Amino acid sequence: MATLTAPAAARRRATVSGLVAHLDVLVLALPVAISAFGLLMIYDASRMETARGGLPRFYYVERQGIAIVIGLLAMLLVMAVDYRRIRDAWPLVYAAVLPLLAGVLVLGRNHKGAQAWFQVGPFQFQPSEVAKVALVVAIAGYCHQHRGELDAWRLAVALALAGGVMAIVYAQHDLGTMLVIMVCAAAVLVIAGLRPVHILVLLLLGATLVGAAVVTGQVQAYRLDRLTTFADQSAANHIATVHQTPTQYNLKASKTAIASGGFTGAGFGRGLQTRNGFVPEQHTDFIFTAVGEDLGFVGGATLLLLYGILVWRLWRIALLSSDFFGTLLAIGVLAMFTIQVFENVGMTMGIMPITGIPLPFMSYGGSAVIASFVAVGLVLNVHMRRFT
Amino acid sequence: MSDNSRVRVSIVGVVIVALFGSLLARLWFLQMGPERALGAEAINLSTRTIQTESPRGRILDRYGNVLAQDRAAWAVTVDRNLGTKTHARVMGQLSELLGIPLKSLQAAYDSQRQSPLQPAVVALDVSLDKRLAVLEHQDEYPGVHVAELTVRTYPTGDRLGDPNLAAQVLGYVGEIGADQLKRLGKLGYQAGDLIGRDGIESAYESELRGRPEQVTVDVDPTGKQIGPPVKVDPGSVGHDVVLTIDARLQLAAERALAGGILAARTQKDQSVTDHYATLKAPAGAVVVLDVHDGSVLAMASSPSFPPSRWVGGISQADFSALNDPAGYYPLLNRATEGQYAPGSSFKLVASVASSQYGLRGAYEPYNDTGSVFIGNQWFYNDNHAVNHSVDLARALTVSSDTYFYTIGNSFWGTWHGGDAQNGLGLQTVAREFGFGSPTGIEIDEARGRVPDPTWKQSFANASYKTAFDREQNGAWYPGDEVHLAVGQGDVLVTPLQLANAYACFANGGTLETPHLGLSINDGKKVLRFISPKSRGGVSIPAAVRAQMLAGFEGAVQNSSGTAYPAFQGDPLAPNVAGKTGTAQVNGKGPTSVFASFFPANNPEYVVVALVEQGGYGAQTAAPIARQVIDAIANPNSTGSAVAPINLPTSGKD
Repeated sequence: MATLTAPAAARRRATVSGLVAHLDVLVLALPVAISAFGLLMIYDASRMETARGGLPRFYYVERQGIAIVIGLLAMLLVMAVDYRRIRDAWPLVYAAVLPLLAGVLVLGRNHKGAQAWFQVGPFQFQPSEVAKVALVVAIAGYCHQHRGELDAWRLAVALALAGGVMAIVYAQHDLGTMLVIMVCAAAVLVIAGLRPVHILVLLLLGATLVGAAVVTGQVQAYRLDRLTTFADQSAANHIATVHQTPTQYNLKASKTAIASGGFTGAGFGRGLQTRNGFVPEQHTDFIFTAVGEDLGFVGGATLLLLYGILVWRLWRIALLSSDFFGTLLAIGVLAMFTIQVFENVGMTMGIMPITGIPLPFMSYGGSAVIASFVAVGLVLNVHMRRFT
Repeated sequence: MSDNSRVRVSIVGVVIVALFGSLLARLWFLQMGPERALGAEAINLSTRTIQTESPRGRILDRYGNVLAQDRAAWAVTVDRNLGTKTHARVMGQLSELLGIPLKSLQAAYDSQRQSPLQPAVVALDVSLDKRLAVLEHQDEYPGVHVAELTVRTYPTGDRLGDPNLAAQVLGYVGEIGADQLKRLGKLGYQAGDLIGRDGIESAYESELRGRPEQVTVDVDPTGKQIGPPVKVDPGSVGHDVVLTIDARLQLAAERALAGGILAARTQKDQSVTDHYATLKAPAGAVVVLDVHDGSVLAMASSPSFPPSRWVGGISQADFSALNDPAGYYPLLNRATEGQYAPGSSFKLVASVASSQYGLRGAYEPYNDTGSVFIGNQWFYNDNHAVNHSVDLARALTVSSDTYFYTIGNSFWGTWHGGDAQNGLGLQTVAREFGFGSPTGIEIDEARGRVPDPTWKQSFANASYKTAFDREQNGAWYPGDEVHLAVGQGDVLVTPLQLANAYACFANGGTLETPHLGLSINDGKKVLRFISPKSRGGVSIPAAVRAQMLAGFEGAVQNSSGTAYPAFQGDPLAPNVAGKTGTAQVNGKGPTSVFASFFPANNPEYVVVALVEQGGYGAQTAAPIARQVIDAIANPNSTGSAVAPINLPTSGKD
């Protein structure tokens, strides 16, 4: 009967209009809105930097704008392909990203302690940002293949996939990104059916490794400083002075800026710490301090709310996905955004250690923006094709 | 999706809510909780208020001659936080650039006259090309800055060739002290600010001080200014203070005083009888008052100092010299802060008191035999001179001491008889003439002392331990009152008090408040005039006044007058009245005093001269006063250059 075959036909032959009808508009709109807001705050936070360096006033805004456009195009490209084809091609995705990552170690440019950049014309390309997304695809794809049967051997394979990427990222001195990747991988594995006993073993193993790394001095001094500063903020509670380590100064300046925002903030462009360039790296990792100082609790809470809604929609997509891969992918992307927001915003307020994790869609940084849009594209893909 | 997966996804949801919740909570507590205080710190961190002193107002004499004013001077300063190596290099380079020996630069840097908190001023009045050399090569001169400073200059003194002109009157300007800063901080003074110290600079500080320019700027973390100032309060230049001083007369008075002192040092000290000694005459003062309103036309004090020494901070050597006892404290304004026994010049008081209390009529003759026995001892005239029959006028002219000793004794008798009110008439009249209390002049002054039984007893109580000693030394003896009548003993006056008392007599009995300020101007117009109220006065019956006037005139004009030799040959002498004073000082030569007014028949000016250890009043002080009176009468005269003036060959009290 026609009535019985119709859904099946719809599943098989997806039209563009049908896909658009099932688009999660919020998941599309929120990143665009946050990115636009990010442009505004980058302008605000980079004025001192551009003035000092003699750069054009909109230097960072323009570059970020270009990245957003590229990101949106990449997102559309990803959405155009049925995600199930990407799912099945996960080994290819993984295989493509490894040499990119490894290449940075050999050819990359050193930037502020992290050797993680390719110079592409006037732009720097950071493969580790893309690697985060690629790894989520790979592990989700692998777990989808072996759904419900994540025994020790298969877990070992999944861990090897994650470990390979993490090892290279760690070798690039990018501890923060490595931890983000770890959280993403862990989230995917947990949903994929990681057994409680395995979780316990992994936790113990991880703790032992970290302890060993610290004791044997494998962790660089500035990383320890970041960690200890986070743990002991008494030194950062005094006026920023030369006696403070750079991290103490960062933390102090960051907290001061946010605290001085109060409920409604100083007003856009009026915050003294922001206007006068007191917060280092403010247009990149510390962009949230500009929001906090200029727009106050109202602005900061609104931004967190936007992220919250985005994450909620991703979570919803995970539940509604028509296949296991879709669920895992959505969870992986969700975990990626959540841990980045939590770590980034948390460090500006002194409740997380300082790492170089960008605030998704807000922080200046093209690779992260593009990777984030690609990740959103993948999840949108899952959602709009849930009936095909 | 399996149920297990659903549960796990739900758990992820809970974790997410927890994470976002903790972020929101942290944000709330950071922005709305106690950590909000960081906000105030943010303002501290990122703005600075730079305060620049506005020029001080000028100090002018009554004719508009500029006695003190600020001048802009470009200075090169060196920061104090440079490393040893950098400091040495920078100083070496500066020495080469400025052409100043390295030693001098380093001395300026190390000088205690500079605040250790502020960049050290190493060179003043640096030319434009040298300033540019520093400014254009800031990288080669780390920590070196060019700053515009204002320095006090003294144009009229410079023009008249007297760098000391009115030094003690003007006072000086120096860096604000730590204790002052504590008191005056709320008025906006900051460490390193200049403040008037002493004299007019201090008395009219609130008028002279400009309102400082305050510029609030945003700064970056290194303290560098960002962008244009966010707030500018341009401040204002201080007000001008016009003085009653006549610079020309001031110069004349200073020259007369200096000349008189130099001359006195060649004179025999007649109080030394066992060997030949010249007068020491280390110090003195001259005061010229307008008798009608107490305006101070000239006020000289010697020794003196150039107030410009304080510009840019006084050097240690200069400061030591100014505070060395051997230098007789040039900073002391002897006209207002020096306290001396007035000697016979105090007979002004006894003359009025004697008639007021009905002790002796103005025309009543007294037989002056040269000595008088009072209590248990003899009191003598100077040189045991016998003046025979004297009335009040004659007693003043020849300065009969016995005439006044007996008046003192009569007062004592009345007091001893139990009539304290009439018995202390001398003290009452003395106080009516303004002795024993501040005159009310704007600058620092001593209050002097009018001794009475109460004072003597409390002084003895403070000075002696045993009740016996206290009683012996605290009792009011005839000698106390007898000495007071002739300005000896425990009475102390300042030259200004003496001048003001004679002005009171000269103007008919009104005690004015002597003052140095004439008006406050803003550079264009007069903001207000300074005319302090008179402070009561003394009622002097016409007959008494006539007799006293005759006596004062006689002292100068009559050949038997004490000051006659000093004014011999002066065409002005017929117009001058005055009284000499020679006050004995324990262990030192006598203080030479002369109080006079001019013109005698219609007094306009009082001139008081006083020289410590200057011998007889007629010997040193009177000739100085003569010079000053000559300068008053000759409006083009600034007195002779400082040289020993002619002193009379014979001296009398």
